[in-house]
Amino acid sequence: MDSRSSSELLLRPVRGLAFARTLGWLGLLALAACSTVRPEEKEFLAQPSMTFGSGGEDSAQEDHVISNREGSYGGGGVSGGGCGCN
Amino acid sequence: MQLSATSARSSALVCGLAIAVVAAFGSHVSAQVRASTTATYYRESGANLSHQAITPSVRVSGVVRDVVSLRLGWDADVVSGASVAVVDAPGGEVDAITSATKWDDFRNNVTGGIGVRGEFTSLDVSYTWGRESDYRSHSFTITGRAELFDRNTTLELGYGRGFDQVCNLAQPRAQEPVDRQRLPSSDGCFDADDRESLDLSLQTFRGGWTQAWTPIFATQLSVSAQVINGFQGNPYRAVWLGRAAAQENHPENRVRYVGNLGARLWVQPLRGALQLGGRVYRDTWDVFSVTAELAWEQTLWEGLSVRLRGRYYNQTGAHFFSDDYGRAPRGQYFTGDRELSPMSSWLAGGRVRLDLPAGDDGKVGPFAAFAIVGVFDMLFYDFREFRYGRREVPNDKGMLATLSLEAEF
Repeated sequence: MDSRSSSELLLRPVRGLAFARTLGWLGLLALAACSTVRPEEKEFLAQPSMTFGSGGEDSAQEDHVISNREGSYGGGGVSGGGCGCN
Repeated sequence: MQLSATSARSSALVCGLAIAVVAAFGSHVSAQVRASTTATYYRESGANLSHQAITPSVRVSGVVRDVVSLRLGWDADVVSGASVAVVDAPGGEVDAITSATKWDDFRNNVTGGIGVRGEFTSLDVSYTWGRESDYRSHSFTITGRAELFDRNTTLELGYGRGFDQVCNLAQPRAQEPVDRQRLPSSDGCFDADDRESLDLSLQTFRGGWTQAWTPIFATQLSVSAQVINGFQGNPYRAVWLGRAAAQENHPENRVRYVGNLGARLWVQPLRGALQLGGRVYRDTWDVFSVTAELAWEQTLWEGLSVRLRGRYYNQTGAHFFSDDYGRAPRGQYFTGDRELSPMSSWLAGGRVRLDLPAGDDGKVGPFAAFAIVGVFDMLFYDFREFRYGRREVPNDKGMLATLSLEAEF
């Protein structure tokens, strides 16, 4: 007879799934580490049109007005970031 | 809800103070100071349910020796329109709209923040105070950021906490939600004995990963979760339940999950950027939505850029939404909110940015840099199941225009 408790058996697949997700994220991060864009190659990435969150206050207000007319506002992204050109 | 002249004066005072503090700070420690003022006008029209909102804002920020940044800002929502007080009242589908209640509101927000930046990391904290005649809020955010792998990877973690209060009609004798009446007006809110204040607590967790993959391609993935607890209905709105109307009754708990993926691709032959965005949303009220966005941003010549944008949004309704609670009730909750019904929308718009050219001294008049930004959007809504009686939503088109001035000192 299996000596493990029912809670252990219940949690086992969840732990396996969490482990797989963790591995997946680590894999993506490792993939990120492989991308080698050198500072001198960031001319285009430094353009405002290529930078996330560079829209300024006008974009923030636009998003504010539009999302207020929908049932699923929020989580529109994280501020700035991107090319590390600053 | 009344437009408050006192609120307007206090906002102007806070705004002026913000500019003075940052300007004085900047002049003494040789900081780089930026200031912007923006105003957005939004209008929906249709039958008697036209609606308009003006959103002005002022932002001032300064960076001291590339290490410490300070931000101060003020924004407001000046909203006016008409709404149907009792959704789906019987015996007059036309009357429900033609007798819509006029209302206006003025919301003020004041924000302050400070950030500290290291060589590869940064930490920002901010506080926002919001007030309107029937709503008060305090919120804090903290965001940490780290740049990795030759600054090609940026990871960001954020947490936000909000403490809000909503005004409602005090009804100690109403035992059940179906007995509760709607709030007739904001008169006496937070003061009078026949008004009560209900709490709303918000917690937001956010994570982001921005990655430069090649010299012309970058992506940003972000996920967030928000836990909301407290009164989440519109206190002014009532719903016809078959025999009587009652103030709409929403669940007190809601958890929202959002995933965003954005991509930027530089197209060198055209010297422009293709911008793609996708968003998936799900919450515990069973609202599921997807958003797809496509934009093209082009620099026409030095200092002048144009962005064209298209956006599609589609959502399912909340599990307790019904277009007719008299015939098709959905359990203990009921709503008259069209934004909790199945709906979709299209947006088409554009943005123009002009950076004024600098003179021989490298300045634009008294400024180090000066830019003018204009935005124009058209929105088209489709409410598949929401009706006022048998009438479809008349105000299903919107127009948005924004003008922004940005200066650097």
